[in-house]
Amino acid sequence: MQNLPLTRREFIRGAGGLGFLAFSGVAPAFLARSALAQTPAPERDRSIFVIIQLAGGNDGLNTVIPYSNDQYYKLRPNLGLSNGLLNLNDDLALHPACSELHQLFQDGKLSIVQNVGYPNPNRSHFRSTEIWETASDSETFAREGWIGRYFDNTCAGAPDGSVDHDPCGIHVGDMIPQSYLSEKSHSLFGMKHRGRFDRGQDPADLAYEKLLQADHIEGNASYLQHTMMNTLVTERRVEQIIAKYKAEANYPGTKLAQSLKRVAALIHADMETRVYFVSQGGYDTHANQLTNHQRLLTELSAGMNAFQQDLNAHKKDDQVLTMTFSEFGRRPAENGSAGTDHGTAAPLFVMGSKVNGGLLGQAPELVTDVKKDLEYSTDFRGIYSSVLDKWLDVDSAKILGEKFEHVPFV
Amino acid sequence: MSNTAPTPQTFSIKDAWKPLPGGFWRIEEAQHLLRRMTFSATPEAVTAALRQSPEQCVEEAFKPGAVMPKPEALSEFESTVHERYRKIYRDVEDPEEKRKLQRELRQEDNDLFREYAMEWFYYARDAENSAREKFVLFLQDVFVVERAKVKETYSLYNLQQTLRTGVIGNYPELCKQVSKEPAMIRYLDLVQNTARKPNENFARELFELFTLGEGNYTEADIKEAARALTGYRIKDRTEFYFQENLHDDRNKTVFGETGNWDGDDIIDLTFKQPAARTFLIRELIKFYLTEQAVPEAYIEALGEQWANHNFSLSYLIETFFQSRLFFHPAYRGNFVKSPIHFYIGLCQDLRLDIAPFDSRVLRSMDVMGQSFYNPPNVRGWLYGEHWINSTTISGRRQVVDYLFTPLNEKKLNGNEQRDLEKAREAERGNFLVTNERLKQVVGTGADDLAEHFTTYFITAPSRPSYRGALESILGDTTADGATQRIRNAMIALLQSPAYNLC
Repeated sequence: MQNLPLTRREFIRGAGGLGFLAFSGVAPAFLARSALAQTPAPERDRSIFVIIQLAGGNDGLNTVIPYSNDQYYKLRPNLGLSNGLLNLNDDLALHPACSELHQLFQDGKLSIVQNVGYPNPNRSHFRSTEIWETASDSETFAREGWIGRYFDNTCAGAPDGSVDHDPCGIHVGDMIPQSYLSEKSHSLFGMKHRGRFDRGQDPADLAYEKLLQADHIEGNASYLQHTMMNTLVTERRVEQIIAKYKAEANYPGTKLAQSLKRVAALIHADMETRVYFVSQGGYDTHANQLTNHQRLLTELSAGMNAFQQDLNAHKKDDQVLTMTFSEFGRRPAENGSAGTDHGTAAPLFVMGSKVNGGLLGQAPELVTDVKKDLEYSTDFRGIYSSVLDKWLDVDSAKILGEKFEHVPFV
Repeated sequence: MSNTAPTPQTFSIKDAWKPLPGGFWRIEEAQHLLRRMTFSATPEAVTAALRQSPEQCVEEAFKPGAVMPKPEALSEFESTVHERYRKIYRDVEDPEEKRKLQRELRQEDNDLFREYAMEWFYYARDAENSAREKFVLFLQDVFVVERAKVKETYSLYNLQQTLRTGVIGNYPELCKQVSKEPAMIRYLDLVQNTARKPNENFARELFELFTLGEGNYTEADIKEAARALTGYRIKDRTEFYFQENLHDDRNKTVFGETGNWDGDDIIDLTFKQPAARTFLIRELIKFYLTEQAVPEAYIEALGEQWANHNFSLSYLIETFFQSRLFFHPAYRGNFVKSPIHFYIGLCQDLRLDIAPFDSRVLRSMDVMGQSFYNPPNVRGWLYGEHWINSTTISGRRQVVDYLFTPLNEKKLNGNEQRDLEKAREAERGNFLVTNERLKQVVGTGADDLAEHFTTYFITAPSRPSYRGALESILGDTTADGATQRIRNAMIALLQSPAYNLC
């Protein structure tokens, strides 16, 4: 990397065509703000929350397996797992692919919340994801996400994506998660899960920057230009941090692990960002579930573990809480294509040095009727309210609209 | 004519609304008209426009008779929904079961909404519907309803269809029709408005947001008008009907006139108010022309002509879009595209179909800040620079990136795979820019390509500075990596400030 501008001031100085800005109406304020902009003092005790989305609907019954229950094997003559199970207690075991998560569980750094869902479950991918991300009940259609409402409550609005502060939320992937959508405008940032920085920058980005540095006329064109530049400055900063980062754990090459590695880099750099969102896709296992699910959980377990080990080694583990979620679990009974169809409740993981560990909540009840779905026992908003009240230190009722019973993982 | 905003001193009121003289109808003007009146100005559209006069161009763009077909499943649902709810109430005893069945109906409606939203995007993307659908969006931003409150998809469709056919009628008539649309009756609580317990919500918004604007009526006018608008009900969950015994049939005094007025009378009285001549024109200017205030004298002049033409919307459209004021250089190239404009225009500019994945398309709209049929509140969306912040800008960039990224079909979930198949059957499978397509221009000189891109994708003020930058990005278009460089140049241009403006 050669001398890439890291502040708007450098951006303007370095960019040939921007001298004219000094004469345009917006320039003075813009320049003044850049001049004042400093790297914020790192806040070492800031609590950070990392969300891992398991997109597609993770099969809960083959993640936390009720191996002592005959009913489970009756419902799943082909998919029921019995070999290599990683026992959690006399009734339940983790999927054989989750050896790292199992170790974390034994070390007390992983809580497993069982049978999480919500009343009147919806089985559409889109709608159920929306319900989880907006923390609404299944009858209400909300646009704002639960994290977005948290930003509304805690972050000052930054309509132009001001770089005086780091983004409130960072996500990996090509779409801003609905969880982040808010009423006010906040600085958010999305990054790719891979891409090498040591070779210099992506030529597509360089092309974009080149156009951004062209002359723009006053008014909306220059307003757009400034907003875009501010976002770019954040991008630069993030890229530098990631390029320089020395991980202290072996991250697998998977998308999830690489995403988490980037998150670790930003946490290590003491970004002000409080919430990170990464996603692992492919859980929609309607067919040939055994091999696919095995692979997905292997990736999940190894990725989460590398992330946690890395945080430990960098002494950041006390600051970080990581949670998984999926839009729904799957049907208790397997289908005719060696897979499972859309279902309802499922367990989720909460990981971190500060978690209480153990199995929380009620295990699902299995019934003989193959058409029956699981009845949830823990409302996912109880988990959110624990995160908000106990970890992010904000009144959960303000974000969720009401109080939900806490789940004691922190 | 200069780039400074016109005033009556520099640009006479008499001339402002006269048609653009023939000699001024050139490529620049055709592009301006197409980009503002529709969603894009593709080379073909510009060529076609220049073969016609501005008048013919506008006429053709709004030619009457268009209907966006109601999705079949939606019609089916609408015609049976009342009976299905009745059955639930009548036949099902168990309250738990009752709730479950109601939920299923709502879920069905939710799926229908998503289908309808996608059908609308397909329909509006079709260039011959674009001008009208954009005008429908304009009217939807006047007659705001929020899906979150109305919920019933068929009512939303029906309201939109009324707006669509209303484009050729006159505005007071359209106001009357809208006041009887179940979606509006529900949204502004007309259904609660009875002689015994008047609800003023609709009466207030009728004056404030549909016809007059704040300051042009009194609280007493609202109270009295609300009494006249009583008795509006919805029959069988789907249709308007007037229930005599809920209507207040005593005298009311509105705008100083006393009589036993009904709802339609109130709308007629409203259009006798001077403010009714200019209100919609101001909104029209905000939606199509500029965020800056335009001198009142111009607006009043057009208002008078409009009132003399019986508040005909076709007259307003035809006058506005070919007027000299509309083409004034001060109003070119500095208008932020709305997310819907950006998205549909992008597909048209790139000759792409709308991606067939509802969750991607509709979510992109959410992220960019314009959720289909779901404005933030009764005021509707705020246009212009309000569209722009770091989140929405990232959303726009993501949309562009997506169109240039090969599709990984293996990563699609079951629904998406079905949607993709359906799109291919309907010959709507061409929704991404492939390298094969980019290769077709490899070898065209960088200067020609830069010239073409800047001419057709962005407006005049940004062209000089962009042309050079693009040329240097494109480099030697016969050398290795040219396809990639062309791709990069296009992505950069479509993400640039200039492309977000029109």
